[in-house]
Amino acid sequence: MIKTPPYLKKGDTIGLVCPAGFMPLEKAQTCINTLQDWGYNVRVGNTLVSKSENYFSGSDEERLEDLQRMLDDNEVKAIMCARGGYGISRIIDRINFSKFKRHPKWVIGYSDVTILHSHIYSNFYISSLHSPMAAAFHGEVYKNEYVQALKSALAGDKIRYERPISEFNKKGKVKGELVGGNLSLLAHCIGTISDIKTKGKILFLEDVGEYLYNIDRMLHQFKRSGKLNNLAGLVIGGFTDNKDTERPYGKTAYEIIYEVIKEYDYPVCFGFPVSHERENYPLKIGVKYKLKVGKSKVVLEE
Amino acid sequence: MNRKHFIFSFLPLTYFSKELIYQVPFQSLGVGRGAEGTKDPDALPIIPPYLKPGDLIGITAPAGYITYEEIQPAINVIESWGYQIKIGETVGKRNFTFGGTDEERTGDFQKMIDDPKSKAILCARGGYGGVRIIDKLKWDKFRRQPKWIIGFSDITVFHSHLNRSLGIASIHSKMCNSFPDDWTIAEAIQIETIESIRKTLSGQRMKYTTIPNMKNKTGRGEGVLIGGNLKMLETLSGTVSDINTAGKILFVEDTGEYMYNIDRMFWHLKRTGKLSQLKGLIIGGFKIKVDEDADDFGKTLQGVVLEKVKNYHYPVCFDFPVGHQKNNYAFKCGVTHMLIVSQNECTLTETR
Repeated sequence: MIKTPPYLKKGDTIGLVCPAGFMPLEKAQTCINTLQDWGYNVRVGNTLVSKSENYFSGSDEERLEDLQRMLDDNEVKAIMCARGGYGISRIIDRINFSKFKRHPKWVIGYSDVTILHSHIYSNFYISSLHSPMAAAFHGEVYKNEYVQALKSALAGDKIRYERPISEFNKKGKVKGELVGGNLSLLAHCIGTISDIKTKGKILFLEDVGEYLYNIDRMLHQFKRSGKLNNLAGLVIGGFTDNKDTERPYGKTAYEIIYEVIKEYDYPVCFGFPVSHERENYPLKIGVKYKLKVGKSKVVLEE
Repeated sequence: MNRKHFIFSFLPLTYFSKELIYQVPFQSLGVGRGAEGTKDPDALPIIPPYLKPGDLIGITAPAGYITYEEIQPAINVIESWGYQIKIGETVGKRNFTFGGTDEERTGDFQKMIDDPKSKAILCARGGYGGVRIIDKLKWDKFRRQPKWIIGFSDITVFHSHLNRSLGIASIHSKMCNSFPDDWTIAEAIQIETIESIRKTLSGQRMKYTTIPNMKNKTGRGEGVLIGGNLKMLETLSGTVSDINTAGKILFVEDTGEYMYNIDRMFWHLKRTGKLSQLKGLIIGGFKIKVDEDADDFGKTLQGVVLEKVKNYHYPVCFDFPVGHQKNNYAFKCGVTHMLIVSQNECTLTETR
């Protein structure tokens, strides 16, 4: 059985860290206020008040230490990554997960945080939360259903999402543990100890700002490394801000994906709101979900 | 099969650019041994027979599309070397960015593999698309009659596949789209790099020398030379075309990637164990894409590489003349080389 960290109660503390790219504290302020409104204490990590002048929110050592402290502190019940960017690859192998394994807590985020999700799931079989991060709360955005769904997820409400259909969908009904995240990061984990096994799982994928040919190349890598043939089901999120070469690729991201997966019999749903846009529902990695891709709607529920 | 015989003919050093001194001190006659293919990672790869005057070279487009006109300069030069050319059906074909549909590109490549008359397959250009056809190709005839596959960039998938699954050597070099339109006014570096393809194909033993970079790690190491485009190597990970690097000299190059992604790819090499048992590491050209909006990444290419290999003791050489650039020399992937990195110079010498 997958180990699910305890859900949060009012008064619990959420640690906010920047394990990858730099983020000024102001940009996380709405997130901090909102989490407090939801009844949680927020512990702001050193990497969110970093003096770093380059891309990262601090040196590898500073980012590692901040994340490590939050992992080890029993008072911190969940760790939310304020933003992604790039940088977890640089510290993942130096994180000590021994306390975390004994006292699992929710690790929250997406994009670059996909590495943490994959690593934790593959090595410790502990569930984590693929979800919007601090930037998603900005302005009035925190009122939207996606950020509100994070509130429910943290409190332990069972997740159920219902979506309209897409022309590329392949119908079917399955159950399986949910794994996935950012396609580029999952591809980057292949062959490492953070790689996920996908057999019998419901896999979800999203990406942003990739060249269309590279999306195709990564999907072929997935296929050729045996990650697509034994899935229970596949959930395709947003593939946004795609780039194209001078000589046009000639297919959309969804057409590219459909072409690669059309030979498989499992259900596939396209256009699921997990993405780098506002449409980004929280999803619990490692938790068992039911995926029903029907004639008139798609349902993904715990 | 014939054993190799070497005629030692010391040629004068030729100086071409600040970065590079190029030298071909050895010539060889005869052919490499050809036998059954092997998947044993420890076995030395089979070396396809080198080419003799009059031999046939097939040109095909397994990835991006190219026109007949665009390969004409390459045909002229290669014919002047005394080889015959067979132009594949994919040259002049176009399916969006590809040189024909997957089926057409597979079919053309398969024909080249199976044609007993052709002794080498020159990929007309890279782009993207090799990975879409690699698993559709049947290699039985190729195993029985190995021949040189030539190219780089996207063609790294073939070099990698030959290294991992077939155990057959291949040539990492410029392709048709790098041949100058007018040979008579070509730059010295263009002529020299393209000449290196001829020398490689004809079986000359290759030796390359570069001026050392201050950040090099000195030392010497001998092993089979493998490598190619870094991004391609990452996206082949986990597949049957994933390279085995243990005991080898690895070279990597890339173009148009952001610094953070180059860093991430070197972490991938490290985290997949591809850096721990090398005999040497060669860093070719890296054209780094600049993100105007992003903050300074705070690391140089040299810094990014050296931090990954700081616990290893093999030589590391920067600025090697291989990559998406004019000084891109022909490398024999799958052939044993000696890399010597000293304070004064770096040499990569074929030792078999």
